[in-house]
Amino acid sequence: MNGIFSVVFIISCILFLIWNPDGFLPALLSGGEKAAALSLSLLAVYCVWLGFFKVLERSGLAGKLSNAVYPLAKRLFRSDDKDAISLASCNLSANFLGLPGAPTPLGIKAVEKFCAAQNYYAADMLFVLNATSLQLLPTTVIALRLSAGSSSPSDIFLPTLLATLLSTLLGALLVFLFCRRRRRA
Amino acid sequence: MKYVALVIPVLFLALFVYALVKRVKIYDCFTEGVKESVPLVVALFPYLAAVLMLSELFEQSGLSAALTSFLAPGFRFLGIPPEIAKLVMMKPFSGSGSTALLSEIFSAYGADSYIARCAAVSYGSSETVFYISAVYFAKVKYKKLFKPVLIALTANFVTVVFGCFLCRFL
Repeated sequence: MNGIFSVVFIISCILFLIWNPDGFLPALLSGGEKAAALSLSLLAVYCVWLGFFKVLERSGLAGKLSNAVYPLAKRLFRSDDKDAISLASCNLSANFLGLPGAPTPLGIKAVEKFCAAQNYYAADMLFVLNATSLQLLPTTVIALRLSAGSSSPSDIFLPTLLATLLSTLLGALLVFLFCRRRRRA
Repeated sequence: MKYVALVIPVLFLALFVYALVKRVKIYDCFTEGVKESVPLVVALFPYLAAVLMLSELFEQSGLSAALTSFLAPGFRFLGIPPEIAKLVMMKPFSGSGSTALLSEIFSAYGADSYIARCAAVSYGSSETVFYISAVYFAKVKYKKLFKPVLIALTANFVTVVFGCFLCRFL
């Protein structure tokens, strides 16, 4: 991330110097502004879902869910930490259902737990699964197509599902192949 | 698509009824969960700010446009229409930026055109990789993210190629 950040930042900075030196600071500021606005809306979203998840945890349902997927999740993440697996499986189910904003706080907590146990493989796996999008229904796209006057807004469902499936499987496979050495659980 | 709206209220209802049966103190418990949201957002903020500033720079400096036109022949070779190359470049950096691009493509080419369908599939099957990497690893010291980020980007890119290919038949 340090490399990517530095390279993109420096190249953009040079381009600004050549073409449009006045635009540099406003661009940075608008990024900062977006971050401030986004954190507020994230705060609102996290309030809802972290509250929801605490009740889920306390009622024992989260434990049941993680017990159900435990045999599978244990292999996927190479971890036997039940708490972390429960968080990770809730994160994946929330992703799958397309609950807006719900996966993130759970994912962050799961990554934290995995890393605390030095199981970086699991953290990488969870991140890649999240970053390859395993949403069942592309709700945003369908809503956008509908408002753009599409005659059948949901006909992209099948290709999107297939493509998403491919990316998730490919991502998981690549993690499996290339991140193995980090296992120290 | 109406039933999608039902998912969230049904989830809440089912959980709260179940929790009541299990004699969970719902109010205490809910607020306890909410309490965790503030430190979480505080921990996220620096990474959020850095990634969003970077995505503004990437877009407004013209770097994104330059890269897009530089890579367009390669994209065309892989079956990705050059019109959506910009979207493919934008998506890893910014969700809101790529949503805006997607609706631009819809209004420019019509929501049912081949290009719009490719764009929709590429958008729907990929994720904001840099943003997610910043957020998910915000609370841990472990920052060796090159490999996982590269994997996620590769998987998403292959998917775009595959998605554009699928759009010719489906």
